[in-house]
Amino acid sequence: MTNDTRDALEPEVATPATGFVSRVQRSDAWRSMFRHPQLDTPRGRALQSFSNFFLHLYPVKVPARVLRMRYSFRLGFIAAVLFAILTLTGVYLMFVYTPSPSAAYGDMQHLKTSVGFGQLIRNVHRWSAHLMVLTVALHMVRVFYAGAYKKPREFNWVIGVVLLLITLGFSFTGYLLPWDQLSYWAVTVGTNLVHYVPVVGGELQNLLIGGDQIGPSTLLRFYALHVAVLPSALAMLIAIHIWRVRKDGFAVKRSSVGAFEEAATVAPNAPVAASALPGAPPALYGDRTRLLGVVDRESVTAEERAVDDTVFTWPHLVARHVVVLLGVAAVVLALGVAFVAPLRGLANPNVTPEPSKAPWYFSALQELLSHFDPLVAGILVPSGIVLLLLLLPYIDRNPATEARNRKVAVIVFSVLLAAAVILTVIGTLFRGPGWTFVAPWTHLYLEL
Amino acid sequence: MEQNRRQFLLSGWKVGGAVLIGAAFYTAYEALRPLVGGAGGTKLKVGPPDNFAKNTSTYYPEGRLYVVNAKGDLLALSQKCPHLGCQVPFCESSGRFECPCHGSIFDLGGEYITGPSPRGMDRYPLEVKGDTVVVDTGTLEAGPDRGAKKYFEPPQGPSCIK
Repeated sequence: MTNDTRDALEPEVATPATGFVSRVQRSDAWRSMFRHPQLDTPRGRALQSFSNFFLHLYPVKVPARVLRMRYSFRLGFIAAVLFAILTLTGVYLMFVYTPSPSAAYGDMQHLKTSVGFGQLIRNVHRWSAHLMVLTVALHMVRVFYAGAYKKPREFNWVIGVVLLLITLGFSFTGYLLPWDQLSYWAVTVGTNLVHYVPVVGGELQNLLIGGDQIGPSTLLRFYALHVAVLPSALAMLIAIHIWRVRKDGFAVKRSSVGAFEEAATVAPNAPVAASALPGAPPALYGDRTRLLGVVDRESVTAEERAVDDTVFTWPHLVARHVVVLLGVAAVVLALGVAFVAPLRGLANPNVTPEPSKAPWYFSALQELLSHFDPLVAGILVPSGIVLLLLLLPYIDRNPATEARNRKVAVIVFSVLLAAAVILTVIGTLFRGPGWTFVAPWTHLYLEL
Repeated sequence: MEQNRRQFLLSGWKVGGAVLIGAAFYTAYEALRPLVGGAGGTKLKVGPPDNFAKNTSTYYPEGRLYVVNAKGDLLALSQKCPHLGCQVPFCESSGRFECPCHGSIFDLGGEYITGPSPRGMDRYPLEVKGDTVVVDTGTLEAGPDRGAKKYFEPPQGPSCIK
């Protein structure tokens, strides 16, 4: 048979093989690795997406609006890129780090003085971690204001909140690992908070730090959480999160209607009503589309659709994502070159440094703690906010997505957001030794 | 309640699954539970009572505690702030304990003056045995309530954190 090295579904469209590369690409070995045909036709592109593991993270086609920067500011993707960078740099750091109080601090100095690019990798790891917290938070804010958590995407919002908590857990556990004064006392304050949880607080704190003060078992526990438990949890949940973005449909708003267009790319058995997109791109393939390539052609029901506003993910969206990826990598590399990750003196359980500040994403909490009882500021307020966020899509059942039709939700969220930002700014920039008020232009007590 | 064989087996699987999950949690709890108290728990000998002059504080890093002589009373105060566990240093200029983390201030006897701390500094029992003072670091007693004013004195000088 002359056909046996090609995809049986594909007619002979591509030009015949000439030259070494083409011959390799048509060999049995190559075809066993890469099953999709190299066809630059709509069908060929679709088959490439279907049969490529990495591209299958994406749908074959996405609504054209998804390509706009303004649609999502690519925040979710940026967070995923930062997680990838953190994994790579983190694995590198694991090769030179020993999670024991007698060795950890020495390893940090070793990293600085005698490991090639060690300090740079550590800097990149640290700045990426800060940026990841920021990006994940901004992603959540963006999704809220777009109203994209509403039906049918409620549960994906819940997964997103859990992802935010895991990201903070990463920061908190990673903070201890350098075993310097900064990490030791920030984690002392953080773990003592757990003590104020009603009834089980003391026991929880013991389980977390493995004793009644921060010591070798705390470091080992935080290390295990940081490099094994949290990464696997995060990777699993990110996979579900992305998968659900596809399954729940993209939150693409139709300009004429308040509600989202539900089924632009999914659910072929639920035909979309003729959309009245003014200025939508002209139909590319006539007025019908087929479900591509997974079922027998005869059994496919043609779906009536007035306008096809979708574009192929490959190359349109993937190319944009590659650009964002390179941009993010460039930014964290530049930050890593420009700013050195701080390393204070060796952790000393008998001397608390002045001032002892939490990292910026916890400084709102620390600011609250200086005003209210720890049970209120450290336990009730944060867990209340987390609970509110988790339940948000089930409390806010209003289907509208424009701000003017959901005033209460927007106002409540904006007030909470503003409070968090103000407390963070005060705690980060305006507090000095003894948590006294210090203007940042006289002296900046900022530890990142 | 009537059950056929199929339903019985099905609930059997569920119960088995629940037991397995419970066992997993219990195993994790037992594995992570610290078995030894880290506070040492030893009796710390700190020398004859005459060593502690009136209205002074002496630091013992090996016990993570201060022995103070407040208005003639000898007290052993834990250095750990009852608020969130920072080490509370003694401020020589004001003659008070002042926590740098969140600004809690205690008088020489460890009683609460100001700040977010829920109570005064925690104490260890202390006794004079023969000619030496012995602190029992195995038992930590919760500090006095916020209202206590037994050892209160106005600050003797500028604060270290304000």
